[in-house]
Amino acid sequence: MALLTRMDWYDIARKTNWSPTYVTESELFPAELAGDYGLPQTAWEQYDEPYKQTYPEYVKIQREKDAGAYSVKGALERSKIFENSDPGWKSVIKAHYGAISRAEYAAASAEARMVRFSKAPGMRNMATMGTLDEVRHGQIQLYFPHEHVSKDRQMDWAFKAYDTNEWAIIAARHFFDDIMMTRDAISVSIMLTFSFETGFTNMQFLGLAADAAEAGDHTFASLISSIQTDESRHAQIGGPALQVLIQNGKKAEAQKKVDIAFWRAWKLFSALTGPMMDYYTPIEHRKQSFKEFMEEWIVAQFERALTDLGLDLPWYWDHFLEELSQQHHGMHLGIWFWRPTVWWNPAAGVTPVERDWLEEKYPGWNDTWGQCWDVIIDNVVDGNMAMTYPETLPMVCNMSNLPINYTPGKQWNVKDFPLEYKGRLYHFGSEQDRWCFEQEPERYAGHLSLVDRFLAGMIQPMDLGGALNFMSLAPGEIGDDAHNYAWADVYKAMREIKKAS
Amino acid sequence: MALFPLSSNFEGDFVLQLLPVDTENTMDEVAAAAAHHSVGRRVRARPGQILRVRKQGSEDFLPRTMKVADAGFKPTETIEIVWEAPKH
Repeated sequence: MALLTRMDWYDIARKTNWSPTYVTESELFPAELAGDYGLPQTAWEQYDEPYKQTYPEYVKIQREKDAGAYSVKGALERSKIFENSDPGWKSVIKAHYGAISRAEYAAASAEARMVRFSKAPGMRNMATMGTLDEVRHGQIQLYFPHEHVSKDRQMDWAFKAYDTNEWAIIAARHFFDDIMMTRDAISVSIMLTFSFETGFTNMQFLGLAADAAEAGDHTFASLISSIQTDESRHAQIGGPALQVLIQNGKKAEAQKKVDIAFWRAWKLFSALTGPMMDYYTPIEHRKQSFKEFMEEWIVAQFERALTDLGLDLPWYWDHFLEELSQQHHGMHLGIWFWRPTVWWNPAAGVTPVERDWLEEKYPGWNDTWGQCWDVIIDNVVDGNMAMTYPETLPMVCNMSNLPINYTPGKQWNVKDFPLEYKGRLYHFGSEQDRWCFEQEPERYAGHLSLVDRFLAGMIQPMDLGGALNFMSLAPGEIGDDAHNYAWADVYKAMREIKKAS
Repeated sequence: MALFPLSSNFEGDFVLQLLPVDTENTMDEVAAAAAHHSVGRRVRARPGQILRVRKQGSEDFLPRTMKVADAGFKPTETIEIVWEAPKH
């Protein structure tokens, strides 16, 4: 039987819509799930997805992608790449799998909300494939790490992380719950696909793929490159939705959602990807600094995407650009110092050679974060290990759920951004985090940060053991220095030479 | 006497930390408690200098002998602990 060519039928199929007669439009598309923008179905029928694909085409391409990624894995399974990897690189993939795999699986539900509840037929079509993408990403990113579980218990966190109250996962869950699990279909398209996926998955999946290839981890490189090809397609779901909103006088509402989601994504990735790129990845394998990746892959691209649509840059853009040089250094220092509370082994990344690299990429690093590391290094060299651990909790932001930190040392400018709401004092890590809260306080007010839970007596006993138990970190999973402090040997040698001279 | 949580923002350090103190503690004792979590861990001691406490956003230090109960703090409020060089 002769088949019609795609363009002979695609436009009819992608615009097919219902005119409900047995139920009202508001019953078919409840505002809580479809979005309450006051726009009729006809406005949403103008939605024009830039990436047009049919289901048979999708299946064919996905099959090829899976075959490619799985065959690389199969070919390299006996290669001992994992066993021979630098411990810093192992930490990259452990942190990645734990923070990402199950979030991807959950994203299938967010995509499915667009499939069922979006009033835009084209969006429903795109999101059908997006749903399947996210199922694939969840499955493949659980399957790939599974081969390493028997070698390293921390790899089990690829599956386990989201079932725990480990602090970084509280932060990730709060973010993903906010932008994708508890929003209407149109908001999901703006906050998840446009704001988060357009920018930040490029960072995590393309930027990291480059480092993975450099580090010789071709399995991981091919896996995340394969995922990114899906992301770059379904990330385009949000753009045309924004166009519809802007054309119908809803720019302010659209802009606010972009501004919230982008900021929140930035904070999470400053803690996740920043340390991976600038500290964990062995220096000889780093393609660019985190800041350089951000500027190339996110700043330039996102600015262009916003401008093309007729949106403004987020109101905090100048501050965001300033944070690119600063925020992730504190996130890294915090993760390393509170290292028993993560499911990977953070690499310190502060040998003299690495510090030179940091100083070159981030002028002033030695006078700021370097000052804190100087004290830590002295303690490691002296064997004074107790002082390299904390005896209290960091204060945690009630929006990002990440430690409230900024620049130390000679440029000390750490600050709390507090807000009293209905008799409770909230703490935020930035003006932007507090602003997100203020846009819809009731949405966030009931959530308890890790510190709130501690003060409420939910963590017992109120010590490190109690905290680790609360976070489900079992022996063998608790984080420690990736290189077992071998990086400090060079400082010991330097001290000996100094003594001798 | 009652346990009272504050948030410590210690000069030269990079992160706010939970600081459990007692309502009967003086500001000098609060500063010492805050120093325990920062000095020698990520901040170098400054011999000859003393530590003063102020509310965030204020330029004025609280009196060294003032008690937590009398300082008007809200639970978990952020205080700044700042080095002060000796006056000559």
